[in-house]
Amino acid sequence: MSDNPSDSAIEVRQLRKEFGVLKAVDGVSFDLKRGEFLSVFGPNGAGKTTLIKILAGLTRPSSGTARVAGYEVAEGRSEMRREIGVISHSSAVYADLTPLENLIFFGKMYGLERPKESALAVLEDVGLAARRHDRVRTFSRGMVQRLSIARAILHDPSILFLDEPFTGLDIHASNVLKEHLQTLHNKKRTILMTTHDVSCGLEMCDKVALQVMGRFAFFEDVKDIDQENFETMYFDAVRNNQFTMGIRPH
Amino acid sequence: MNLFLNQITAIVWKDFVTELKTRELFSAMFVFALLVMLIFIFSVNLSIVKASEVGPGILWVAFLFSGTLGLNRSFVMEKENGCLMGLMLVPADRTAIYFGKLISNFVFLTIMELFILPLFMIFFNIDLLEHLGPLLLVIFLGTLGFCALGTLLSSLASNLKTREIMLPILLYPILVPIIIGVVRMTGQILAGEPLSEMMNWIGLTASFDIIYIGVSIMTIDHILEE
Repeated sequence: MSDNPSDSAIEVRQLRKEFGVLKAVDGVSFDLKRGEFLSVFGPNGAGKTTLIKILAGLTRPSSGTARVAGYEVAEGRSEMRREIGVISHSSAVYADLTPLENLIFFGKMYGLERPKESALAVLEDVGLAARRHDRVRTFSRGMVQRLSIARAILHDPSILFLDEPFTGLDIHASNVLKEHLQTLHNKKRTILMTTHDVSCGLEMCDKVALQVMGRFAFFEDVKDIDQENFETMYFDAVRNNQFTMGIRPH
Repeated sequence: MNLFLNQITAIVWKDFVTELKTRELFSAMFVFALLVMLIFIFSVNLSIVKASEVGPGILWVAFLFSGTLGLNRSFVMEKENGCLMGLMLVPADRTAIYFGKLISNFVFLTIMELFILPLFMIFFNIDLLEHLGPLLLVIFLGTLGFCALGTLLSSLASNLKTREIMLPILLYPILVPIIIGVVRMTGQILAGEPLSEMMNWIGLTASFDIIYIGVSIMTIDHILEE
């Protein structure tokens, strides 16, 4: 927990989200200071995506509170949305537009003063400047993911939410994404990332959480944990979750 | 206020650039409207029935049915690749998203209608030129109401698996006052009646336009949220 609450980028208290009888997020509480990187691991259906959706203001919690960048998430303030960037399973870019058109559009929506200049700079950062006039529909999954990163960081947010950003990427694209995340971390951006890639997640983060059946079963500083023990615990959690879901491992 | 207007303009710009590249929306709406008129041409004996009597109904059936195609596509485009989520993440008032989509839908449908009108004149042998001013006013009022309600309901239906079926089922019953108003007014215009004779219908249609836009402003926030 944070010693100084005003230093917190994200404050979550007893957060719950229920879909009928299903508890997607069940009493999650944690603090994340500005500039910290939290990796959240957990089996499929553990509620990681729902947690990110709540923190990004895309869905309302059933109960509990969450403050992001000092704003109450449930209030849906546009000031809060200015402070966050989200990369999810979906790229959230228009397939029939070019990367430049996409980013100019989002730049205008964010109210940037020079959307074209900002778009070109970010495209340069993610290595898509040469393809800026090609339609996104012609891009590979890795390139679309890079454009998705460009969209998320276009307005220079202080907090980033990444929902399994490495899904479907080849090794090269994964390495490029890792480099980008490292750069953003070095720039003191607060990052909350969900992932299944244990070694990658642990390598980059300051704090680590394990979410199982909606709850945080584990939340520690990465320097205080033993990677091997954590991996065993994570794989146990995945296996137990499979039992719960009625899928027996061979 | 400036940001609000810029965001609306950005959405309209984005929809136009997309349409200029794909031409999916306009071509689908135009061909469909044309087919509707052709079917009616062959099913109605114009030597028995007056074109000015059946024409208004046929014209509005063509406009509204083809417009529904466009409305269905409007928010589906936003759902592709999770773009609607991207829009929900920007610091924009939800009503800016609504008005952006409303203006895009309105302009696309109006352009299609302007292409259909000359064909309607030829097929039904009706001279619209002498009634063009009043007719354009009626088309404006009808199209605005249709798009105002249709944009709201297409955002609602876009979350459903059966969206193509649900949109017309939700839309047409609520749109009945406007449909009656514009078909009546179009009939009166083609019969040569002056605009002053149909002020009640104009008032009714304009009132429903305002009601649909007002209800949309009040509810779009909740509809766009999951």
